[in-house]
Amino acid sequence: MVDPRIYEMFRDIGRDLYVANMISSHGGNMSVRLGDRIIIKRRGAMLGNLKPHDLVETGLEKNDSGVALASTELIVHRAIYKATPALAIIHCHPRAAIAFSLSRDEIVPIDNEASYLLKKVPVVTEEFASGTPEMANKVANALKDYKIIMLRGHGSFAIGQTLDEAFFWSTVLEEACQIALYAKIINEPFIEYRKMSDSYSKF
Amino acid sequence: MGGWVGKVLDIDLTTQTYKTYALDSNIARLFVGGRGLGARLLWDLVGPDVDPLSTQNVLIFTTGPLTATGYQTSNRFSVSTKSPLTGTILDANAGGFWGMQFKKAGYDAMIIRGKASQPVWIEIKRDVITFHDATGLWGKRVFEVTDQLGQNNHRRNVLCIGPAGENLSRIASIMVDRQRALARGGPGAVMGSKNLKAIVVEGSEKPQIEDQERFKFMLYETRKLLAASPLTSQALPEFGTAVLVNIMNSIGALATRNHQQVQFEGAEAISGEELTEKYLVKNEACWACPIACTRVSRTEKVQGEGPEFETIWAFGAQCGIDDLAAIIEANTLCNDLGMDTISAGSTIACAMELSEKGYLDSDLRFGRADLLAPTLEQMAYRRDIGAELADGSLRLATKYGHPELSMSVKGLEMPAYDPRGMQGQGLLYATSNRGGCHMRGNMVGVEVLGIPKLIDRFQVQGKASFVILHQNVSAAIDSLVLCKFTNLGVAEEYFARVLSAVTGIHYATGDLIRVGERVWNLERLYNLREGFTEKDDTLPPRLLTEAPQEGPSQGWVVHLEPMLKEYYRARGWDEHGVPTPRKLAELELDDLN
Repeated sequence: MVDPRIYEMFRDIGRDLYVANMISSHGGNMSVRLGDRIIIKRRGAMLGNLKPHDLVETGLEKNDSGVALASTELIVHRAIYKATPALAIIHCHPRAAIAFSLSRDEIVPIDNEASYLLKKVPVVTEEFASGTPEMANKVANALKDYKIIMLRGHGSFAIGQTLDEAFFWSTVLEEACQIALYAKIINEPFIEYRKMSDSYSKF
Repeated sequence: MGGWVGKVLDIDLTTQTYKTYALDSNIARLFVGGRGLGARLLWDLVGPDVDPLSTQNVLIFTTGPLTATGYQTSNRFSVSTKSPLTGTILDANAGGFWGMQFKKAGYDAMIIRGKASQPVWIEIKRDVITFHDATGLWGKRVFEVTDQLGQNNHRRNVLCIGPAGENLSRIASIMVDRQRALARGGPGAVMGSKNLKAIVVEGSEKPQIEDQERFKFMLYETRKLLAASPLTSQALPEFGTAVLVNIMNSIGALATRNHQQVQFEGAEAISGEELTEKYLVKNEACWACPIACTRVSRTEKVQGEGPEFETIWAFGAQCGIDDLAAIIEANTLCNDLGMDTISAGSTIACAMELSEKGYLDSDLRFGRADLLAPTLEQMAYRRDIGAELADGSLRLATKYGHPELSMSVKGLEMPAYDPRGMQGQGLLYATSNRGGCHMRGNMVGVEVLGIPKLIDRFQVQGKASFVILHQNVSAAIDSLVLCKFTNLGVAEEYFARVLSAVTGIHYATGDLIRVGERVWNLERLYNLREGFTEKDDTLPPRLLTEAPQEGPSQGWVVHLEPMLKEYYRARGWDEHGVPTPRKLAELELDDLN
């Protein structure tokens, strides 16, 4: 049985993701790692309206009956946990970030907070961008060096010690992309205020 | 390859000879340096048949690839040995200047074997190693010896033992740069058993950095992050580590009177705020450290560095003492005698409880600040009641028939954080490879301070994963060797990047944490080889059965058993806590069995 404290974390952050326009009604997913077990959102459940029975427990390595109910992205979550020190994963569909991912191989923020925290977010491409081993490997590999990455045209994957932390990286990225979008609309010459910002793309 | 010098200095005190040889590059890649490198070398050199205080034990001093590069806090170094206090594998690390100087003398590691027939001290000036007669220094205290041997922070640095080490107190520390300590587990007694009084180093060689441009970028970004964190830019510089006294007390996790309570009514009087207001002279910093958390404090009787949070707690709340001046004086005295303040304070607290309950005939009572200094003197010289306390609380409490009153894990006294108010900390203590310790990972970040984000401190399910991650990260940082306070403002991904820039070998964040996992498992194998079992992964019974009767942790004991089961499984160990062949192969440790 899942500790009620863990359920409350899923419920609150799921709701926040929906309210923040980071997912569609049934989109996105998230999980936490408990040793060799994973707790992940049930397939088809609404992140913005999670009930205790919407959390599914299954093995990190081994299948059990839980996989029949788990999110379609379980394979990606497993690959990420095996490749990185992550204890929590959030996959969501931040709109401005997705828009930028359509034309760039990396997103380098121009705002202060994301410059501080992210420096650079790589964009990876996979034709079958949902739940395939190829996609799982690409995403997991990219997350070895970064705490958040974009899957082109699809969405972000963020890792952290807690869902809270992964949610933070997700919102920082989306905020950065929205600011970049506004800056594009304003369309005036950029005044560089950050020392060594030309090194961000090497991060 | 940048970072590593690629050279090991191997000294035999029995013959007073030395040799140098190349550092195995594969071992360097896998174990990096510091604690990891020390553990790997110790595995081959000191087996289960070796008494820690015999000539067969060794002292291994190690630096890391970042040491002396100028990266923030790249001043630290480590010592590894078999602990005379616990019988486990031991490492301890210290900041200051000595580690930087030793690396600049041209070495990654130094092994010290054997035993000199008469007291000696060693002088290292790059390739010239000199053995000096230390008969005239033997018996002298740390401050005098350090000054006499010419301590100069940036040019010539002294590491030595005091009377406690000479008298083989199993809680003796090795003192560095006058008032910094390789403190825990009794490395000073090992040095004393070898008749080695001091090691002095002078160096001038700067380590090579492979990717200077990237290194400078990481240096700049790290500076920004440390400046942005209120912990590293305000709390630690303003109040030192003692900032934690009031925080831990307020949540009911400040062990008090030998862990009989979890809140201390005198906390305010021994807090960081009180220390700063009444006793602080100035701040000081280790080499290449912008945090500058070191306090220089003064009372009417003494002036010295510290005291740190754990010391304030050990002589304060743990002994029921709210006299901060007496605590500062006890700290300075311990530094001069060369004794671990946590173990010393907690052993005195154990004696206080034994005495109050009538098991031990002594004047020691909770709150007796006047007895701190005389008792410490007696311990260092093994005189009177001190002879009973000189080897730590477990030997003392066992002798008087109440081992359960020793607040220790595997024989090492626990620090200030009472785990009944922090469940993860309880698991962390119970599984720590060097015994009750907060430096093998510390859950205060996630369970109290919210770094990186706050988790419920009473949650049991899932805690094992956090504990494992923090133990692995801690072992990785100890292998680099950096100060853990940087990790309060700077995440591991930066350490991986700076390590890559310096060495020219790509380490992803996960690769660096995997180094920590490898070190942790190697240490576990070492302890298993010494005869430790899953039965040693436990806590004093008080923490498992006696719940606080009031305050924010009221009603809580440590729920160790479910966490421990989850821990073994998540570590990839069997149900008895033994690493599986698969796990060892995954960590490239399979050649050790």
